[in-house]
Amino acid sequence: MYIHKSTCISPQQTYSDVDLEKLNISVNNMLNVVEPKYDDIPLNVLRRMGKAVRMGVGAALPLIKDSKNIDGIIIGTANGGMEDCIKFLNQIVQFEEGRLTPTNFVQSTPNAIAAQIGITNQNKCYNITHVHRGLAFENALIDAQMLLRENLEFNLLVGGVDEISSYNYNIENLGGWFKDEEIDNTKLYKNETKGTIAGEGVTMFVVNNCKENSIANISAIKTLHTNNTEEVAEQLKLFIEKNISPDKNIDLFLTGENGDNRLQNYYNVCENIFDNNTSIARFKHYCGEYPTASAFSVWLASKILNNQIIPQHFIKCKSNSNKLERILIYNNYKGQQHSFMLIEK
Amino acid sequence: MEREELKLQLKNHIIKYLNLLEMTPDDIKDDQPLFGDGLGLDSIDSIELIVLLEREYGIKIQDPKDGRKILADINSMLDYIQEHRAK
Repeated sequence: MYIHKSTCISPQQTYSDVDLEKLNISVNNMLNVVEPKYDDIPLNVLRRMGKAVRMGVGAALPLIKDSKNIDGIIIGTANGGMEDCIKFLNQIVQFEEGRLTPTNFVQSTPNAIAAQIGITNQNKCYNITHVHRGLAFENALIDAQMLLRENLEFNLLVGGVDEISSYNYNIENLGGWFKDEEIDNTKLYKNETKGTIAGEGVTMFVVNNCKENSIANISAIKTLHTNNTEEVAEQLKLFIEKNISPDKNIDLFLTGENGDNRLQNYYNVCENIFDNNTSIARFKHYCGEYPTASAFSVWLASKILNNQIIPQHFIKCKSNSNKLERILIYNNYKGQQHSFMLIEK
Repeated sequence: MEREELKLQLKNHIIKYLNLLEMTPDDIKDDQPLFGDGLGLDSIDSIELIVLLEREYGIKIQDPKDGRKILADINSMLDYIQEHRAK
């Protein structure tokens, strides 16, 4: 499955004039997105959109505009427009189940993002949303992969979207998923405590089966549910054996390490599989932790493959080689949902 | 409340309820149709305006046919609010 176009709205400078060297600093343990001006979204439509929908449509429209045809819209989002959903639920209580405004409700369902992209473009093709929490984006990719096997000429829009809402931040904070102490993202990997920092973002890709003029190839994906570190390492070895011939090197192992000491062992056992021919890098200090952060990692991997440079702040361990042809991504969500993705030139 | 004061309040409510980005009360003319070619509102906005009347002025529009006349423009909304307001 080849990536031909991509856009990324993140807490960093990734939308226009991409600058991977520059690192915006988190505030209150949160990395909020830098939203662009959404010139392509009509004002009448934009005013009704919550952040997740706005970001999703805003990132998708330039790609669709540049593409001849889009035969399917496949979005992964764990929470959709949670902020608007909670506004709606609060109104039910506040106005004692009286007459409610529909906008918050209409805009808050997870499938509102894919739906709005379809409506805005009058696109009546395959339109689906995957909501499998930390594997929502991976499932969207697997769906795209299967669709492209059946329809060789298809051009698909695939993306991952999640926002920080006060609701999910507070609930997950109470659940111990964010750090108790305030830190900034430059020190994310130094604090040996539980929790991480919150992030949000949208990444969109146009994918198809055509290698010509592609940015990168998502050549393999595997997801698994387990809380056993040894099983993760074992599955990673099997993934490598199955998808990478022994004469080929994995130039970069890109991980979703997020500073949570409870998850560190998953990353350690996986890193131990590699020798010094493989660099190790991390990305959560750049985008924060959110269920579809793995979509960001695919975007980052494609940029690294094209630029042939890994900006210093991502690097955990540098290999002897400067060649960058193959990147293996490992992401872990809450120590339960794991994914491996192989990105090649 | 004087009509002018009420008018400004109503326009501010409309901007807030409909999230009319970058609009000020002065941008909404008193006799400009709210729907169609005027302000360009649509059917979802009409429900928002009905909710606005109920929450801010205690007015319930029971018959949707009445809504078309009441929500025609700012002047018609003001007339109706002054006549029926409970708050």
